[in-house]
Amino acid sequence: MNLTRRKFLKVGGSSAALLATVGCDRLPREVRALYEPAKNSGPFAPPASEQIDAVTHALNRAAFGARPGEYERVKKQGATPDEAAAAYLDHQLSPEKIPDDETDYAVRRFETLAQPLGELFEYQEELLQNELMRGTLTRAVLSERQLFEVMVQFWSDHFNIDPSKGDAKWLKVADDREVIRRHALGKFADLLRASALSPAMLWYLDGRVNRRENRKDKPNENYARELLELHTLGVHGGYTQRDVMEVARCLTGWTVRSRNRPPYFEIGKVEFKLHQHDCDAKEVLGQKISAIPDRLNKEDRERLGQRELDRVLEIVTRHPSTAKHISTKLCRRFIADEPPAGAIEKVADAFTQSSGDIRATLRALFASEEFRRARGNKFKRPFHYIVSALRATGAKTDAGLEIIDYLRRMGHAPFNYPTPDGYPEPAAPWLGTLLWRWNFALAVSENKLKGTRIDFATLQKNSGGDDGLMAHLLGRKPTADEAQAYHESGAGLALMLASPAFQRC
Amino acid sequence: MSDAQSFLTGNGDQRQTLVVIFLRGGADGLNLVAPLEDDGYYRARPRIAISRRECVPLDGFYGLNPLLKKLEPAYKDGSLAIVHAAGSEDATRSHFEAQDLMEHAGITGGGWLGRFLRAHNTAASGPLAAVALGRAIPECLRGAPATTVLQSLDDFSLGTSGARLTQSLARLYGMQTDMLASAGRDTLAAIRRVEQLRHEKYQPANGADYGPDDFSRGLVQIARLIKARVGLQAVSLDLGGWDSHFGQGTLMDPLMTRLARGLSAFYQDLGDEMNHTTVVAMTEFGRRVEENSAFGTDHGRGSVMFVLGGGIKGGRVLGTWPGLSRDVLEGPGDLPVTTNYRNVLAPILQRHGVSEKLKQVFPDFELHPLPMYG
Repeated sequence: MNLTRRKFLKVGGSSAALLATVGCDRLPREVRALYEPAKNSGPFAPPASEQIDAVTHALNRAAFGARPGEYERVKKQGATPDEAAAAYLDHQLSPEKIPDDETDYAVRRFETLAQPLGELFEYQEELLQNELMRGTLTRAVLSERQLFEVMVQFWSDHFNIDPSKGDAKWLKVADDREVIRRHALGKFADLLRASALSPAMLWYLDGRVNRRENRKDKPNENYARELLELHTLGVHGGYTQRDVMEVARCLTGWTVRSRNRPPYFEIGKVEFKLHQHDCDAKEVLGQKISAIPDRLNKEDRERLGQRELDRVLEIVTRHPSTAKHISTKLCRRFIADEPPAGAIEKVADAFTQSSGDIRATLRALFASEEFRRARGNKFKRPFHYIVSALRATGAKTDAGLEIIDYLRRMGHAPFNYPTPDGYPEPAAPWLGTLLWRWNFALAVSENKLKGTRIDFATLQKNSGGDDGLMAHLLGRKPTADEAQAYHESGAGLALMLASPAFQRC
Repeated sequence: MSDAQSFLTGNGDQRQTLVVIFLRGGADGLNLVAPLEDDGYYRARPRIAISRRECVPLDGFYGLNPLLKKLEPAYKDGSLAIVHAAGSEDATRSHFEAQDLMEHAGITGGGWLGRFLRAHNTAASGPLAAVALGRAIPECLRGAPATTVLQSLDDFSLGTSGARLTQSLARLYGMQTDMLASAGRDTLAAIRRVEQLRHEKYQPANGADYGPDDFSRGLVQIARLIKARVGLQAVSLDLGGWDSHFGQGTLMDPLMTRLARGLSAFYQDLGDEMNHTTVVAMTEFGRRVEENSAFGTDHGRGSVMFVLGGGIKGGRVLGTWPGLSRDVLEGPGDLPVTTNYRNVLAPILQRHGVSEKLKQVFPDFELHPLPMYG
């Protein structure tokens, strides 16, 4: 059932009174979702080991951290922590089997995110940006499909688009929904194709002005270069400048209707223009693509011209450098900033053998000994940090602009990275963000963020007191120093969230 | 985690600071720096032109508005360069579009200053590497690794409840030796340093005389941060209100006074520190050459840029003067842009440590950096 904001406002007025009289269980489901206290509100057993175990590790890496009680729930899925972690990861790899109503309801308040492509232009770009960021943050905090959200972020970086460029201000919303989210755990080839023909991408990397109407025209190589350098083969993946030019030629003619140029309807529509396509013969990474003969009729020529895009994507997807490049990035995200070569090889093999099936690739990664062993050695990026703090404290949040502002100050607001390479994954560029993390820790623990509330007393009680709370936050028993500092600080929760251990994952 | 940053090691601070001043509203370059020897100037502005007599002579052709006289010493020292007929390729004459384009440096993602910081070798990992004086992060800093927005030094702290927390943090971050721990210690040191600054009464050096306005106050904060060596790499500060459609004098005169007083005080105050500091002042566009009926000027194209800093070969007005004859003027009668602002920024960014990745900072543009350093 669809709960629009208008409808909500209608029911909202009377629902407070309703609550008082009928109690939660008799309310319509969509109203209940907004009033229900956060899940996991009962007592729970926090981690009790000295070191992070496999369960916490899985929650740290494949999710944005544990919510209250989540550790215990996951741990029960297996006889040992390793088995439990494996079961959890397996489950997370099938997000379609994980109910997520609460998240869906929460995100529905961001109405623009559900608008069809053409309708997006009806909105102020600032509203779109805000809803996109808030929607992303809301999902990361609330969703039960955590690995899916982690991968959405991974691919948003991999196929980075900064919507401050041109019509991408409006079109990125559709890209997020129809490219990144649709294929985040699907086939890499489908994701790549959707991205290549995404109107936002055609804007961001100038594909829309890549044309060769006559021999004098020079194709725009921007997308072609990033396709090879960033999206597929990687910078030392074995292509040449000539390959970049040839790929650009293959992709000439694809364009997107702009809001600044007639015709002023079907804005954002992607079109192939045969007269802007380079019909001469090409050679991409050693593979020949024959010229499109003049004698054919227009339809056939158009079909052949369009097919060159698929041909190029097929060549680059199957290139062994692509498997290696994607696997290296996945291992950097899930294992270590300097990923071990053995793991990359295993993951790349899985990528190749499954023809770029993202789930199969991740399955191989999670099964690797390298993943299992690499615990607590990564530095959370600011988004991960903020989300994990909100999850760990069981915060109720509207993902408001104050939180987005913290992310902006730390240089990690969603969809704000200027260049096509996406936010960096390794720790170094993020080390200057500690002050904002500490301020955020204070603000969230003292309930100073508008639209975000935590219930410290309940959290402390449910985790079994201070020691339990520390273990819940750190994913292990606190050290003697941590425990002492917790008590001395006068702001124990903030200190734990600000501590070195909580910056790691 | 190795490769620890040590940007708080007293005189070990090798970083250079770039101060970007945006004169919002379209500042009239012809009124800031007048082409005294171009008769077209006097013909176009019979009522509002500055006379040759009033002007501070610069090089025989141009003269500084008398209200900018305080900039004369820096110009004579060779520390101040002026670029005339500078601006961007944006011809919309819309404040928003022109500022946006200038701050992004083209139809591209993020701001040029943000991309500069990302491209910088040290990855701007210090807690005070990028600062925006004001209320919000300006578009030019969009995409920077971490930006501190502050109106005063009070904003860089852990707040009132943070005092005890700071001690406990020092304990936890003090016990380890990795990159994260040293970043934590650096951040705590920066907090302490700024805290000290807050409690000291600031005495500008060399008799520098800042004004009582927000612009000068902003420059004082910047000077203090530079002197405290907290690793400040880039800082933005606005001086707005230049949209002089009518009564140009009443509007521009106080702004020019503020600009000159602030910059000259900053220049004096920093003294030798100026060697590793560059200040660049820019505006989104200049004004129509011809004055309008309301003693003002309308939106135009080319304006001036000021570059103040160590190492530059100043004491010159750079850029090509296009002349003011009808056939030269652009559109409704505007000074054409003969130097794209990127070509002024490019050599500065090179000096500040980004050369190879300059293309990334200014994409889709063929750079011809202005030879400002020799």
